[in-house]
Amino acid sequence: MYLSNYKALCFALSILFVFSACRKEDDVPEPAEPQEFGTFDLVFDNVYGDGELSLVGTDDENFDYVNGNNQDFNITLLGYYITKIELTGPNGEYYADEMATSADPDEVKGFYHVLESDANSRTIRLNEVPAGKYDRVNFTIGVDADAVSEGATGGVLDPAEGGWLWNWDAGYIGFAFEGRSPASPAEATQWAPENAVQLHIGGWKDLPDNPSMVNNVKRNSIPFPSSVSVGERLEPNAHIEMNLLTMIAGPHATVDFSTTFSVHAPALGSEIAKNLATAFTVDHVHQ
Amino acid sequence: MRKITFSIPEFYGWPTHLLVGGLLCLLLAGCRSDDQVEPLPAPDDPYAFVAPANFPPATYTFDNNPVSEAGFRLGKRLFFDPILSLDNTVSCNSCHNQSLAFADFPLHPVSIGVGGATGTRNAPQLVNLAFRREFFWDGGATHLDFVPLNAIENPVEMQEEIGRVIDKLNADPEYSGLFGEVFGQNRINTPQLLHALSQFMALMISNQSLYDQHLAGEYSLEPAEARGLALFETHCQGCHSGILLTDESYRNNGLDSSFTDVGRELITAYEGDRGKFMVPSLRNVALTSPYMHNARFNSLQAVLDHYSDGMVDSPSLDPTFRREDGRLGIPLSETEKSDLIAFLKTLTDRNFTNNPLFFKEQ
Repeated sequence: MYLSNYKALCFALSILFVFSACRKEDDVPEPAEPQEFGTFDLVFDNVYGDGELSLVGTDDENFDYVNGNNQDFNITLLGYYITKIELTGPNGEYYADEMATSADPDEVKGFYHVLESDANSRTIRLNEVPAGKYDRVNFTIGVDADAVSEGATGGVLDPAEGGWLWNWDAGYIGFAFEGRSPASPAEATQWAPENAVQLHIGGWKDLPDNPSMVNNVKRNSIPFPSSVSVGERLEPNAHIEMNLLTMIAGPHATVDFSTTFSVHAPALGSEIAKNLATAFTVDHVHQ
Repeated sequence: MRKITFSIPEFYGWPTHLLVGGLLCLLLAGCRSDDQVEPLPAPDDPYAFVAPANFPPATYTFDNNPVSEAGFRLGKRLFFDPILSLDNTVSCNSCHNQSLAFADFPLHPVSIGVGGATGTRNAPQLVNLAFRREFFWDGGATHLDFVPLNAIENPVEMQEEIGRVIDKLNADPEYSGLFGEVFGQNRINTPQLLHALSQFMALMISNQSLYDQHLAGEYSLEPAEARGLALFETHCQGCHSGILLTDESYRNNGLDSSFTDVGRELITAYEGDRGKFMVPSLRNVALTSPYMHNARFNSLQAVLDHYSDGMVDSPSLDPTFRREDGRLGIPLSETEKSDLIAFLKTLTDRNFTNNPLFFKEQ
């Protein structure tokens, strides 16, 4: 069957009109020129003092590092969650990494579990960064109340997939260091080897009526040594150094492994958590 | 001239203005944002979450996890399945029995876990959880999803690692099919498990006790019950407040002078919270013996005897129990206690404890 041209025109126009009315209020008008985007990589390098850092197994009897109290130790696990990443630039450039929680791992966005044991996890690729110059990165170390209040989430926050979730005080461990030190008096248990040192920094709650409640989720804002351009054919990155020495012998806490070797609660980790503010620096950038 | 062909037969012969107008209406309706077009649940749909009008706003994040019949039934199946425990012997239902408003049996004053391990606290009832801000005697969970994890992984409860639970579920073809139907993913993961359990628990709404009928003007309290309610309003409602019958605060009610279980301090690390525990909801309280976090009392009479004459002092004792004459507790005569107990029994909701919606399915 055929409709007349007039009817067809009316129909087509009505469709056009109605679909144009369907745009959400928060849609911004298309820019006059197409916006250009590029990628930006954040590469996390874990170091100890001026040197490199490497993991050993929990049965390793070599203790290659010395802490601020002259105690030998080794490193068996090191990692942290990086979330809520933002890039900013001198001319108002701004990029905020999308954040989303979901039971579907593919829908979880913006949570990164950076593990020394997993090289892939140490590079975070940011996509669709608006072209421009950037000279600062902001990020959160840990998983804050916004995410915890959404309930169970998949992907790197799934405890069955290696996510660091405390069950007794439901929330995520934001930063963890484990190793062994002859100075640690820890005896072997189901969960830890002899001479274990386990520093788990968690705790995300603020209670207005309880000043003792510890929120160890920290937000850092770190300048780049020089600005970096993002654009379609560019592959810039920034190398962020996390210095474990600053974490265990930093301005706020110098950890003595003979007394502080089992940190598994928010308050016990509060002073160490303050060292997070200076443990991360941008070492260099690549244009 | 080319003709434009439409193959939709309904268009044929309709006046154009009607056709266009109708399309406009249809399409404009499609412009409404998602939350507006959400169909209202049919009142008789037992699987729809419907908050009672006199309840506070739901705290549960239904946006992330809307209740469906398939999801609810999957959650129920998991609730009754000991697969969640280390040796497949302990289920949620082992310590949470519907006939007791999902509290534990009186013979289990503290929960009995894998291998007969005993816990340190009395398993609470499970009612109106979709409206609660915090969970457990110490408030260690602030979202319903995280609550079952604590029981699954606790060495004196289910004693199982969550990773092993997920592996067991993925190895079970029946569960793989059921989870796939509800969540549409190839592999079962932790949030799917916890979301299914939350769907089941979110519908555990208890709001049909005699007390609720009294509030709705559908039941006249017996004289003793009415006197009990007046006493309740005077002496108890300060803490057991609101329609949920708890203010969800943490308080020390004078059970001990020194504490083997520090309670809320475990979470807050604040010495002032030592010996404080969450004020429990009194809904269905006549069914949930024994009472207090440590199952100290076997009867409501014993609880009221404690409040009238049994309290002991400690630094964190709630100030509400300090009387002007220096004595501790709530002055109550034996007659008043008897009246209070008559009132507390009106909080039992047999429609809830007998609701077939929660029955185990084969």
